Amino acid sequence: MLKKIKPDKKVASSEYSVDLFEISKSFEKNAGVKSGYSSIKSALLSPFTKKKVKAENLTTAIQDLTLRIPKGASVGVIGRNGSGKSTLLKLITGIYKPTSGYVKVNGRISALIELGAGFHPDFTGRENLYLGGVLHGLSKKEIEAKFDDIVAFAELEDFIDDPVRTYSSGMFMRLGFSLAIHTDPDVLLVDEVLAVGDAKFVTKCKEKVSELRKQKKTLFLVSHDLSAVERWCDEVIWIDKGVVKDRGEPRRVIDQYLDYIEKGEEEELKEISKKHEEEADSIQEESEKDSSGLGFARWGSREIEVSDIDVLNGDNQSQHVFHTSDALSLTFSYKVNSEYKEPVFGFGINRSDGVSIIGTNTNLESVDINQISSSGKVKVDIASLNLLDGTYYIDVAVHREDGYAYDYHKNVIKIIVHSKNNMIGVVDFNHKWEIK
Amino acid sequence: MRGVIELFKYKSLIMALVGRHLASRYRGSALGMLWSFLNPLFFMLIYVLVFKYYIRFDSVQNYSIFLFCGLLPWVWFNSGLIEATNSIVSSGHLITKSMFPPEILPAVSVITNLVHYLLSLILLFGFMIYFEVAFTATLLLMPVLILLQTIMMYSIGLMFSALNVFYRDIQHLLANALNLLFFLCPILYPPSTVPEQFQFTITLNPIALLISMYHSVILEATVPDMTSWVFVISFTILMFVIGNNVFNKHRETFAESL
Repeated sequence: MLKKIKPDKKVASSEYSVDLFEISKSFEKNAGVKSGYSSIKSALLSPFTKKKVKAENLTTAIQDLTLRIPKGASVGVIGRNGSGKSTLLKLITGIYKPTSGYVKVNGRISALIELGAGFHPDFTGRENLYLGGVLHGLSKKEIEAKFDDIVAFAELEDFIDDPVRTYSSGMFMRLGFSLAIHTDPDVLLVDEVLAVGDAKFVTKCKEKVSELRKQKKTLFLVSHDLSAVERWCDEVIWIDKGVVKDRGEPRRVIDQYLDYIEKGEEEELKEISKKHEEEADSIQEESEKDSSGLGFARWGSREIEVSDIDVLNGDNQSQHVFHTSDALSLTFSYKVNSEYKEPVFGFGINRSDGVSIIGTNTNLESVDINQISSSGKVKVDIASLNLLDGTYYIDVAVHREDGYAYDYHKNVIKIIVHSKNNMIGVVDFNHKWEIK
Repeated sequence: MRGVIELFKYKSLIMALVGRHLASRYRGSALGMLWSFLNPLFFMLIYVLVFKYYIRFDSVQNYSIFLFCGLLPWVWFNSGLIEATNSIVSSGHLITKSMFPPEILPAVSVITNLVHYLLSLILLFGFMIYFEVAFTATLLLMPVLILLQTIMMYSIGLMFSALNVFYRDIQHLLANALNLLFFLCPILYPPSTVPEQFQFTITLNPIALLISMYHSVILEATVPDMTSWVFVISFTILMFVIGNNVFNKHRETFAESL
């Protein structure tokens, strides 16, 4: 049953624009259309009572979340996919009702979530603006007063009397954005939509949002664009699995969040390496040579075998998530199984789209290894990785000078590199600017 | 009661949506709103052809007018209720993506079809002149009947539209139930032709009573008897209470169930 908590009268909640008090939201698993005999039977037996759902059939999207946002604040919400950000927005807009706790919003709220959600394709832009305005809670007079501004902002003067089905998706979004932002909201919810239309329109949108901020309107920004969040918000709230993991000064919270993300990636990449190692063990025969894709593959005749491939950080700890200027060491073990000649060890790094960043071996670099012991270790030290943001795959191989493969591991390790800045490309060369 | 107050608060939105429905139905067709007259006209002519000339149903005076009196409110009842039942499911995007008051959707369906009914009444009056049926003072009761039917349809529509979100079987069950109900109502035949042991299908059937009330105020120039009034009004109030209750029990979970 719904637990109704009445707002505490003693708290002057009107100083908050958004006041969420201990809200929880659970969803029934497989909610929606019910089918099957049992659900129809229960509906017929008790058509007017809401069935109590067992706890194990519930998923909790938001748990005991308290969030009080003062008027005029700009708050950014960050968190991974599925952390409950969208549920939170829908709770604030009132589309969802909390399972417990209360949600209070002071003033008119405008959600830039689904732009033009109520537009009808067969109606003209003009007709849709009137209808959409009513949906946003504006009276006909208010819409008439703002009509020209809305159309001018959307840059649709020449098309306003055409059916919106003839609009491009950009025009459609522009009309939706323009309407939503002209409804004179007290609270503006923005969900990743500052990226509507072309660069010029985006700039205009941002100016408009800045203007609203100056008018002390509350801004609630949900975004994966962390630099935008940092630029726009006075406070950042990090939500994870439905609870507030951290909140406060943007730079600090974002850094915490990034650390956490990298830890998560690290776990995932370790799993991949482990899986490849296990798979490699099971590939006893020479497997199909597949050097094209990004999947893991292993082939070779195995006179010499390579195993225990790992990447280490500067402290010789196994690591898979790096920053651009980090040191990286690649290590692996080898074992001689039978007669061989001219052994060459090699490694390669490929970008996630298959572009080879580097491919080199002991032969190319004239490292003298005519004789090797029956087993041993190989280590490649890279003082500074210098790679930019992205996902990279590492190959390791031992082969003959003529290229005959003893043991070739393709895409055996996956690493992720994060850049501190937003440089474009693959490699950050050591460079210096000099301006005279 | 909350539901009704909401409805009045959103009356401009309801009117805008009704306008949109009416306009979208004939948008792109050359004859446009004229179809609002042509559709019921053809419909009525087909029924007259079959039941007056093929089956030669002539136990009623002015059979054509008798047929129209019952058929037109039935068409309103039938299509309005089917549309209302589907209204929330078919406007899912509005419910899940904006703060949309869901109770206005069945109201929009009922009112849109009411407009079609009112337009078809012009045809009915035209035929009454043609067949020289007298216009009597009892016609003044028409607005009362129409109001009753509107509230009744809205209440039933409210209930079914909410349940249809969770059990989509409702819309199919309803379509079949309405088919049965059509023949259980004195639309094609006068109540007097029903055998004694089946009379209860009329006397205990609020929709049948409502249809008979239309007959009496338009064709028979009589004020419907007290029993009919009491029965139909009580049924309407009952459905209103049940409809609002069922709807309010479920309304908060529409967004997450669609």
